[in-house]
Amino acid sequence: MMETHAQYVDYLPTKEKQETSQELEDTAQQQQILYQKAMNQEQPSVLQQRSTVSKGKYTLNDFQIMRTLGTGSFGRVHLVRSVHNGRYYAIKVLKKQQIVKMKQIEHTNDERRMLKLVEHPFLIRMWGTFQDSNNLFMVMDYIEGGELFSLLRKSQRFPNPVAKFYAAEVVLALEYLHFNNIIYRDLKPENILLDRNGHIKITDFGFAKEVTTVTWTLCGTPDYIAPEVIATKPYNKSVDWWSLGILIYEMLAGYTPFYDTTPMKTYEKILHGRVTYPSFFNSDVVDLLSKLITADLTRRIGNLQNGTQEIKSHPWFSEVVWEKLLSKDIETPYEPPIVSGVGDTSLFDQYPEERLNYGIHGEDPYEALFTDF
Amino acid sequence: MAITSDQKNEIDLFHKQVEIENPSDIIQFGANYFNRRLELQRGFIKKQENFALSKGISLFPNDMAQDPMSTTHRSSSAVNFKSPFVDQDPHSIHSGPHSNNSSSEPFKSNFNVTTESKKRINSPMDPSQSNDDPSAGSNFKRSSPHPSNLSPIPVHFNAERRTSVSGETLQPGNFDDWTPEHYKEKSEEQLKRLEKSIGKNFLFNKLDHDNKRLVINCLEEKHVPKETVIIKQGDQGDYFYIVEDGNVEFIVNDAKVSSSGSGSSFGELALMYNSPRAATVIATSDCILWALDRLTFRKILLGSSFKKRVLYDDLLKSIPVLKSLTTYERAKLADALDTKYYEPDQVIIKEGDVGENFYLIEYGECQVTREDKGLLTTLHKGDYFGEVALLNDLPRQATVTASKKTKVATLGKSGFQRLLGPAVEVLKLNDPTRSSRE
Ligand SMILES: Nc1ncnc2c1ncn2[C@@H]1O[C@H](COP(=O)(O)OP(=O)(O)OP(=O)(O)O)[C@@H](O)[C@H]1O
Repeated sequence: MMETHAQYVDYLPTKEKQETSQELEDTAQQQQILYQKAMNQEQPSVLQQRSTVSKGKYTLNDFQIMRTLGTGSFGRVHLVRSVHNGRYYAIKVLKKQQIVKMKQIEHTNDERRMLKLVEHPFLIRMWGTFQDSNNLFMVMDYIEGGELFSLLRKSQRFPNPVAKFYAAEVVLALEYLHFNNIIYRDLKPENILLDRNGHIKITDFGFAKEVTTVTWTLCGTPDYIAPEVIATKPYNKSVDWWSLGILIYEMLAGYTPFYDTTPMKTYEKILHGRVTYPSFFNSDVVDLLSKLITADLTRRIGNLQNGTQEIKSHPWFSEVVWEKLLSKDIETPYEPPIVSGVGDTSLFDQYPEERLNYGIHGEDPYEALFTDF
Repeated sequence: MAITSDQKNEIDLFHKQVEIENPSDIIQFGANYFNRRLELQRGFIKKQENFALSKGISLFPNDMAQDPMSTTHRSSSAVNFKSPFVDQDPHSIHSGPHSNNSSSEPFKSNFNVTTESKKRINSPMDPSQSNDDPSAGSNFKRSSPHPSNLSPIPVHFNAERRTSVSGETLQPGNFDDWTPEHYKEKSEEQLKRLEKSIGKNFLFNKLDHDNKRLVINCLEEKHVPKETVIIKQGDQGDYFYIVEDGNVEFIVNDAKVSSSGSGSSFGELALMYNSPRAATVIATSDCILWALDRLTFRKILLGSSFKKRVLYDDLLKSIPVLKSLTTYERAKLADALDTKYYEPDQVIIKEGDVGENFYLIEYGECQVTREDKGLLTTLHKGDYFGEVALLNDLPRQATVTASKKTKVATLGKSGFQRLLGPAVEVLKLNDPTRSSRE
């Protein structure tokens, strides 16, 4: 049985069909096999073949909206519960007006398109989208373990093997995205969620984009932006490898290498490019980081002739059995202390709730801009 | 949950201060008060730490998680991790609790990230403790199983969640019939002065001469009377300003932080993307300002970056030895090109040397000479030389000298090979110049 993505999405959380989680996992495994095959055979991207029929398939009435899980620049993410199967999901709500004001129409449409396309154990899964006259809604799996960010701040730093575990899962996710010509552009601990077993799920595809040659837009998160982006050069996948370096650094050190009191000062430091490695960093990781956090694109590992392979075979990752990791067959360093399946949100920070204006269907000046939703 | 005595103390202190000052805006007052308090406290800790260090004592053997003043405001107990790769790790040397194989440890029940820490270190941070008591830190062990815990997180690191930023998506391909709205040629004297004003800023110092002048000619003159609020903290910013004449004052959270006059500039971040202003700027005299908006700036920058990109791509395509590269490989090469400048008479490559780099001329003029034959040819914008070095170790066949100020894009053999690896072998095989040389 080979599922296309469209069929895949035809399941939960609609009224007619229900699916056990076992079946879901089976399908996920199928997808993995497909992807692994593709990786080995250098086949053209499997993404193109997927359709995008999940638009407007849900409505607000299918969900009971609960607390806010996180907020971003354009809206917020709610915990919701399907009124049909009682399961929990996360819905990201984006305010159209805000998107238009911040001139992020293209990024938003890209986000939807990319989320719809990708299918990977370490990437968030989107079920579908819908809209009302003021907002866009994206239905995703609810990932209960909270942000890697919160875990990192609580522990201040991760021990070497723990940082390595999360970094390795991120490498696989980026490898998959890049293989499909998608750059992610916003790697940071805030965008990495932990599932109930402690595996990562990368969320927030707000800047993800399909790029075959180069792109130009300045975006990301100040501490994590690569020098070529700041310098208004054309850029591609190499920027994600730079950010991976920053992420590993932050996990091990507890802070980022170029932080400063203002973004402008941070950018200046990034362009200057001097990194100080704390003495407790192990020498393998310093070697890896010096090859990731480099402005010289002929030295940035991941961007070179052997691509991701070179990162995966770096000595720092020598203990990692990549195939096992991809099939989640490696014990996670931390299992989030949650009661799973009951909408436990104890690992998410509290955010002030707003009066909701969801579900209004009236005049919509932006109707033409978001027809994919 | 009952609050601790430390927490109570802090609240009481604040309470007293409120009673004394009776502020009308309690939130603003509170924010200012605690900022000051934080600063004081931090300064104090720093002093304590330095003092102790000078006595050979390490005050913070446990990490800053224990720091009650930690900026993270999170519960501060340590997380117990399992070691994910423990059975695979051939050199499992990670000592201490983190490497405990979890099978011997009921991990889940053991783990207490969300619970409050039982106890925290008190004495080193205790403001009531005398500054010059060398025993302050003596009850802490100097070594810890985790050396990483020895160094504290820098206090200025922003430990809060960070929001993403993004500029407008511009398609640089279609700026050709775009002309900047406020283009107005400046006098030579103005140009010089303005160039100096923006010179140090990284946003401008990478611009080449022509683009710098273009940017300056796009500056729009603005006259603002004394007391005008030029930008307001928290507002979305679209403009960057240079003060031509007059004085301005910077205000953060209602407190004056600095002031400046002619030649100074502010609001640079607005040239990168839309984000809230970090300060309010007020004219303290009648001012003449130059303003530049982001769209104009980015279009100039992107336009030039794009033209350069097209130039590189066309050039790389036209080079016979690089013919068999794919579009993607060519893009990778173009991304990695480095810019260099040469003054007239400067030698770029020398006959007989072993070649390493290849060069594309972006502008300028170079002369190609040979010891035995003299001047062979003159190269201009769009010409390239030294490409043979990318594939072979042959000595340079000629000397190339800049005859005017010249800008080149260059790439070395080693970088070339790191980027393309096996493709290099293919190139060698397909090298159309090969037979002619062998
Ligand atoms: N599927 C999910 N399950 C649980 N929590 C989630 C999920 N998706 C997002 N969140 C939470 O909501 C937060 C904000 O989501 P997201 O980053 O997608 O929003 P955004 O508006 O794009 O934010 P930003 O401004 O950082 O780009 C996340 O950091 C995370 O804490």
